[in-house]
Amino acid sequence: MDFILTSLIFTPLLAALVILLLPVRLHKPIKAVTLLAALVQMGLAILLYFRFDGGAAANGQMGYQFVQKLNWIGFSLGNLGRFQIDYFVGVDGVSISLVLLTGLVGVIGVISSWNITKNVKGYFLLYLLLLTSVMGCFLALDFFLFYLFFEFMLLPMYFLIGIWGGPKREYAAIKFFIYTLVGSLFILIVMIGLYTSVIDPAATAVQMGLLERGQAASAEVLSQVQQMLQRNQISNYNLVHTFSIPAMMEPANFIPNSLLHVLSGSILWDLPLRFIAFLLLFAGFAIKVPSVPVHTWLPDAHVEAPTPISVLLAALLLKVGGYGLIRIVYPIFPDAGTYFSILVGGLGVLSIIYGAMNALAMKDLKKLIAYSSVSHMGFVLLGLATLTNEGVNGAIYMMFSHGIISAMLFLVVGVIYDRAHDRMIHNFRGLANAMPAYTAFVVVAFFASLGMPGFSGFISELLVLVGGFGAPEATGLLPRWLTVVAVFGLLLSAAYYLWALQRMFFGKFWIFPELRQNALITDLNTREYLMLVPLAVLALVFGIFPHLLLDKIGLTVNGYTEMVLLRGQEQLGLILSTLQK
Amino acid sequence: MNEQAVYLSDKLDAIIAGAGSLLPELVLAGFFLLLVTLDLFKAQRIKRLLPWLALTGLFWVLVLQVLGGYTSGDEPFLDLLLSDGMARFGGILFSAAGIFTVLMSLQHPRLEKLQEGRGEFYALILILVLGLNLMAKSVNLLMVFLAIELVSIASYILTLTFKQEKRAVEAGLKYVLYGTFSAGVMLYGMSFFYGLTGTLNYASEDFALGLLQADTLLVTVAAVLVLAGFFFKISAAPFHFWAPDVYQGAPMPVVALFSTGPKMAGILVILRFVNNFTDADAFADVQLLLGIAALVTLAIGNFTALWQRTPRRLLAYSSVSHAGFLLTALLAFGTGYTSSVLFYLTVLLFMNFGIFLLLQVAEEKYGVQTLEDFSGLGRLLPYFGVMSVLYLLSLTGLPPLAGFMGKLLIFSNVWEAYTSSGNPMLLVLLIIGILLTGVALFYYIKIPYYLFFKRNQSHENLVISPSDKLMLALFALPLLVFFFKPDLLLHWIEHLLAQTL
Repeated sequence: MDFILTSLIFTPLLAALVILLLPVRLHKPIKAVTLLAALVQMGLAILLYFRFDGGAAANGQMGYQFVQKLNWIGFSLGNLGRFQIDYFVGVDGVSISLVLLTGLVGVIGVISSWNITKNVKGYFLLYLLLLTSVMGCFLALDFFLFYLFFEFMLLPMYFLIGIWGGPKREYAAIKFFIYTLVGSLFILIVMIGLYTSVIDPAATAVQMGLLERGQAASAEVLSQVQQMLQRNQISNYNLVHTFSIPAMMEPANFIPNSLLHVLSGSILWDLPLRFIAFLLLFAGFAIKVPSVPVHTWLPDAHVEAPTPISVLLAALLLKVGGYGLIRIVYPIFPDAGTYFSILVGGLGVLSIIYGAMNALAMKDLKKLIAYSSVSHMGFVLLGLATLTNEGVNGAIYMMFSHGIISAMLFLVVGVIYDRAHDRMIHNFRGLANAMPAYTAFVVVAFFASLGMPGFSGFISELLVLVGGFGAPEATGLLPRWLTVVAVFGLLLSAAYYLWALQRMFFGKFWIFPELRQNALITDLNTREYLMLVPLAVLALVFGIFPHLLLDKIGLTVNGYTEMVLLRGQEQLGLILSTLQK
Repeated sequence: MNEQAVYLSDKLDAIIAGAGSLLPELVLAGFFLLLVTLDLFKAQRIKRLLPWLALTGLFWVLVLQVLGGYTSGDEPFLDLLLSDGMARFGGILFSAAGIFTVLMSLQHPRLEKLQEGRGEFYALILILVLGLNLMAKSVNLLMVFLAIELVSIASYILTLTFKQEKRAVEAGLKYVLYGTFSAGVMLYGMSFFYGLTGTLNYASEDFALGLLQADTLLVTVAAVLVLAGFFFKISAAPFHFWAPDVYQGAPMPVVALFSTGPKMAGILVILRFVNNFTDADAFADVQLLLGIAALVTLAIGNFTALWQRTPRRLLAYSSVSHAGFLLTALLAFGTGYTSSVLFYLTVLLFMNFGIFLLLQVAEEKYGVQTLEDFSGLGRLLPYFGVMSVLYLLSLTGLPPLAGFMGKLLIFSNVWEAYTSSGNPMLLVLLIIGILLTGVALFYYIKIPYYLFFKRNQSHENLVISPSDKLMLALFALPLLVFFFKPDLLLHWIEHLLAQTL
């Protein structure tokens, strides 16, 4: 039993309890406790990253490490069997990068929050709750546990935007809350359907008396239970329903006459129910990613949120959407995933292009960056839809790299906003003359984001595009022209960044006259260096040494794509042939 | 003459033998009489004692029902009242609701200063709880009618506690009018059932058999008529019109009681009643109508709540929507939904008393009448603010609160029933029910929105009394515990239900 994952999740929560007990006036200690918790979390994340064995994931989908599984809730439902929820956490190649990212960005966010003055105690309490729930999302392997963290993320975010945000904060906060809640309700519907359909073979074996309680289940016993299940030989009373995601990934664990079983033949509105479940889940996570056309909450939320919260939103919360697609949607519904890959990839490319075009038209620097997030997260969808090794590696790499770079971008916007209380592009000119160091970091962030070789953004985009171009041969899921269109998005992103750079930073120094009286244009201070330098270094390091991350995720992704593709095609065939009967 | 004597003595024997199972009701009736008698004395010392006396009685009944053991078996009392595990669990909830009401009333400044009818008020709470107990135990339609009327009459008077207030009078009048109307309709429907089956004992096999042989249309009409009366008690559409006015006009502890007690008892009565209609072929119409009623109740509750300007009316419609969720659960035939429903009712008890206590504090101490009046209160009183967020999220059904667990259980049952029956109505109810949670968030979140996002400088030196704080924590604690460990409660419910099977 290894407690490192549990400590990762609950360190911030513990710190939040400490802060709860501190008097409101003690601003410094409250900040110090938060920083300490974030540092501990980062330390643990880095430790986990080094201890994580990239080679151990070779046996495909079950390569979770540092697993901790405890019974949490369990009760009998009479003739419906048992209801079981586990505290089940683990890490594999998909989550390790995001855990590391959460650790790193968590600390940057605290440093960036250092000059918060309004209601300090409440702010840092919510901040810590947010960190706990994000980390919990990335580590949970039980759907219920995941959903708990997923939903709980909304609340701190709602208040952080709504109380500490900009002028239209209330509208933005409510829009954010409603949008993402509706998304999670879609997920809830499918979650209920899945758990009524899926059993935990090990626990069922215990219930049937094939195993002693606490005894490890051997592969033979598991497959015996699964075979008996498929032959309807287990009485309802002994079935143990589960929320475990690995169990849901196994088609043999579905109860034969349940609606989400591959052979159930259940249809609704002329679509197999499994496809509908996939679409609901996809919609739920696509809102979070966000993908066009459900992205409209993001620009509002970003523009109104205070800088550190924008950083967290872009760097971490959006990743939960992409992570959910990779961890939950595709492995559980590989059939529908392959069937709808053109939809997923198409929406990805649409986001890339539409986001970039919007970014090009924005007058507010923060909005520009918000739309660039939409554009870049489109690559995650595209990479995943290819289901090639390169594509999925690229999608995960993109999430990590975008986490680092978007954090930097939003910090950079925060710097100018702190000084001039404005961030309209046309109100500034020639900032390079007044703030040379700042301009250097802006250039680094912009170039990293637009995919300049040498930065992490380049690696991820390259991988996704290679995957996309290879997809027609490798998996036959996506047409090549889709990837060609996506390449056009790269061009656009170069355009909006370079144009913004040219307008704001080059030429003779000038700022809009009405801003001058409040503005104090000085170059970066120590605190800002402390945030920007590490991020720039990370973007460079992961751009030059991609194997640092790819070594950790590669084998998991190998097994992942193989499994999803194989099962996808097999199950798709079964579903379609059952329907024809 | 002799035959009659034998018959009488048999009856007497049966009454004496079965009386043990009515011990909680007898205790309540005894305390009611005691309160009414003592209320005749003018001495202030005695008057001050009355609420505590009522509390003692309710507490006694609570302990009695928690411990159990007073009933001899599962023989119904004179074919009228059955003390099974469900009724016992219901009784526990009702006496808890009664206790909470009395405690809340003791915190209510205007009720405490009430010159006239203060003793009456507490006596009526006792009689209302007695009526609820009888509702939960009834297995005979006539007994149901009597029990419902007992509850209704007590409710009418309790609504009118502040007789001098215009809106209380309006509320009381509306309540009486709707109440008598639906009671009449219900009685009419019951007479149909007697004609169709030859028995009023609706939990018996004769009744179920009679229904299967009777004309489907007649059964449907009769069921609709009877359900009208039940729907009135649980404020389900289209018999919910009294709710907003009564919630607006009655004293807050009474509103809290109305939003829980009669709703819980009504659901238990409906639960027993619809058990006769599980046959999907014979009673497709009844099931369809129930489904439509659940859907309409959900829709009306949630969408009308969006336009409300006062917290009381908002919560009235929220209570309508909860009735919709409960009705949805009752349609998941064949899935053992009873324990899910009882779990939901328990959660509802704590959520509603918590939120209405908050409203009472806000109204009586901070003068909050409309939603706007909440502005800035959360910043000034973080405890108050955090508690209201907690209750409202539980009402919405978001984790990590028990409201979520309640909905999860109900929706699991509905999905399970859909799997086994393939009835598309269930899927529609499931999807609509879940998606309406999004709508629910939109109106519930208005209160935290004003509490935290809006500013108001006029409030000064607001305090929240320690006893209020304690009670708010008391109601909040189960909401957290039942989310993280729902099996604690569910095991107990299962245990109680299994006793009488």
